[in-house]
Amino acid sequence: MTITTQSRPQRWDQPFGSEMTDADVERLLGVPEIQAIEADKFPSGISLKGILRNDVRIMRYKVGDIVIREGDYGNSAFLVLNGSLRVVLAPGLPGEMLGRRKIKKKNIWQALKQLWNQKKNPEFRDIQNYNNKSGVRESAVLGSSHVFLQDVPAVLDSNKTAVLEGGALFGELAALGRTPRTASIFAGKDSELLEIRWQGLREIRKYDEGWRRLIDQRYRQNALKAHLGATSIFSHLDENDLQEVADKTVFETYGTFDWHLSYKQLQGQERVDGKKDEPEICLQGAYPDGLLMVRAGFARISVERGNGRQTITYLGAGEYYGADEIYRAWKGEPDVALKVTISALGYVEFLRVPSKIIEKHLFPYWESGRPGGTRVVTAEPEQRKGTPDRKAENGQMSGRMQDYFDQTFSEGALQEWAVQERFVNGTQAMLINLDKCVRCDDCVRACASTHDGNPRFIRHGKTFQNLMVANACMHCADPVCMIGCPTGAIHRSLTGGMVIINDDTCIGCETCANSCPYSNIRMVSINDENGKNILDPQNHKPIIKATKCDLCADQITGPACAFACPHEALKRVDFRDVTRSGESIGGY
Amino acid sequence: MKRIWGYIATAILFFLLIWVWTLQLERSLNYSEFVSGGALFFVIFVLCIFNLRKRLPFLPLWPAHKWFLLHTVAGFLALFLFWLHADVLWPNGLYSQILTVLFYGTTLSGILGLVLEKIYPKLLTRIDLECIYERIPRDLGEIRREAEKVILECTEKTGSDTLAQHYYETLGWFFRRPRFIINNIFGGQNAQTWIIRKCSVLERFLNDAERGYLDQIYVLAETKMKIDFHYALQTMLKKWLLVHVPFAAAVMVMMIWHLIVIQVFFI
Repeated sequence: MTITTQSRPQRWDQPFGSEMTDADVERLLGVPEIQAIEADKFPSGISLKGILRNDVRIMRYKVGDIVIREGDYGNSAFLVLNGSLRVVLAPGLPGEMLGRRKIKKKNIWQALKQLWNQKKNPEFRDIQNYNNKSGVRESAVLGSSHVFLQDVPAVLDSNKTAVLEGGALFGELAALGRTPRTASIFAGKDSELLEIRWQGLREIRKYDEGWRRLIDQRYRQNALKAHLGATSIFSHLDENDLQEVADKTVFETYGTFDWHLSYKQLQGQERVDGKKDEPEICLQGAYPDGLLMVRAGFARISVERGNGRQTITYLGAGEYYGADEIYRAWKGEPDVALKVTISALGYVEFLRVPSKIIEKHLFPYWESGRPGGTRVVTAEPEQRKGTPDRKAENGQMSGRMQDYFDQTFSEGALQEWAVQERFVNGTQAMLINLDKCVRCDDCVRACASTHDGNPRFIRHGKTFQNLMVANACMHCADPVCMIGCPTGAIHRSLTGGMVIINDDTCIGCETCANSCPYSNIRMVSINDENGKNILDPQNHKPIIKATKCDLCADQITGPACAFACPHEALKRVDFRDVTRSGESIGGY
Repeated sequence: MKRIWGYIATAILFFLLIWVWTLQLERSLNYSEFVSGGALFFVIFVLCIFNLRKRLPFLPLWPAHKWFLLHTVAGFLALFLFWLHADVLWPNGLYSQILTVLFYGTTLSGILGLVLEKIYPKLLTRIDLECIYERIPRDLGEIRREAEKVILECTEKTGSDTLAQHYYETLGWFFRRPRFIINNIFGGQNAQTWIIRKCSVLERFLNDAERGYLDQIYVLAETKMKIDFHYALQTMLKKWLLVHVPFAAAVMVMMIWHLIVIQVFFI
């Protein structure tokens, strides 16, 4: 019998920068900010040298090159080695300048023109457009290409900027917190930066007191207070009280940042195991020591039933758990314990607000009976970015926590499935009621006729009873596809919140397609007017571009698929509504 | 469901209006056929432009599901208007009879399509396997190749050709292409019965190792049976339009000719 063997994969099998040499590492050890790190505090398996060799890369930017863009999701932080960068202050650069697609709804005439402007061959592109507009500085390494500003003096004249010089660290909060970048930064002079991927940054923060203090302090100063102030439970607090809450709040992360990569692999092998692959955050029956607030990602809430665990609901960004238990303990109820187990779905970032702080700042407010001072078990999430027209709701969730406890196995089955398949991430998932769908493919044809003759989804996907989630972009609440796009071509539209790709700046590196856990991004070869592949003159390989559903952002009809369905079988839905409303959605 | 009642109520009101109008005209010894014919033409025109609307998904011409409701209700309205206009179920004259045959053909094929679209999706969901119609030949090919691989392996590993012989003589027929199409169209279970019978007759001639391979063939046959079911039902869901649309086009052409003749020779 033949035995297939392979050496066990190691953490640093895939270094961040393939060109990093020992000489580079030695040079970095001489940089003052790195010199200040106490290398002896690191364990031998994760040495500082190892991190510098495998978790960082040296990036060079020419004048005008954009380093990070406001609104992008990044997985790395930057340390300026030399040169000078400009941070664009509010209101920031317009989207087109950052390499983003400008969405303009077609008028009736432009919509009608599609009838005769439709090309016979799919995926036609006029390459003249790329030459005129793209603004992409290509690099031999696809992931290292940059979008650059074409007229730096004009940008400096028309925008307020701040300068970042050698030694400045930036981007660490977005990298660790999986939150969008808050400002755009471009090179004011030719610059050299040290890019540290999140894994390396996490280790440095973990083992070096100085960096930890710096990062945590910045987080508390820049982001935490504002975040807490925006939540429904702390919005009543004044500046000083908010500061006290922020100072005492503990920052915790569970799971792996790039869960989507391992999840995709496990899915391929049909090995996704709810219990094994999800780190437990707190266990049912444990003592409640603080309020848990989700800052990013998702967490599963489950209870023991029979010999297994039943998912009763899940928490998304802005939601919290634990207030009810702490409140009951505060009111003198004996032996109060957590009623549920909370586990991380992939990656989740929590803020743990200690019980003492909650007792001091929240419960007296609830007791006072002032407006908004109602006792709630779990708060309504902040408005999801990908959900246009969603009403901002205040107060309680549509269903009380007790309703979730009371649900039968059958009632909770859809939720169990949606959580297991991570569909809860979807804000505009394509849900097809198979009891109504006559498989006429009108949706597919409508999509093709509005997108270069090639549909942007496949009418096929995972099914649960009579529901199918088709392979169409779900415009996720946590869009992991956006992490690592070198040109920012895939981005979240500021108007409407959908995740879209700018074809002009997409370099076909496939980072987004490989990251999407649901395989909803497809790479296509682009064609000329005669339907022939457009080739790269250097290697004669076809030029490829990433394509996906853009919710027909420029069409006056909205998503053509739903508009074209004659049986109302296809809907674009926020999974939160499907799994939580407890109501049937349009006969579903 | 609530919405369709709005359409039905409007259709009834429209019909009553035309009916009363024609009665008034008849009482005053005028030709009522112009009114009923004009209304019928209008309704048939509305029915026909649904197809055009489907080709223009990028224009804000009302969502398709509303058009579909309108099309369904207007189809029945057209039938009643036709009877009002012709005043008989079966008219005299060759041209009128051809037109009537085409009109009834369109209506009946439409009703058939409506019934299929209400019943078949639920039947397809019930079998718990989803396939894309265009991929069915490829899927069936894969299953056949898989079955043949199992048979070859069985022969190689067990040294017996009993299962291979049975596959060659009997089971191969089933795996070759979609089977039991007519039976599947009527929701029958003949395929299931056939598989069970043809697999069970062989069991007493097999040893334990061979039975393991037969089980694998049985699982593949069950999957193939489900795909066949999809093939039969999806074919019907797609092909009924190949009757309905040409009939409707012919009705439209003959109706326009009918109008021209009336205009030229009657008015």
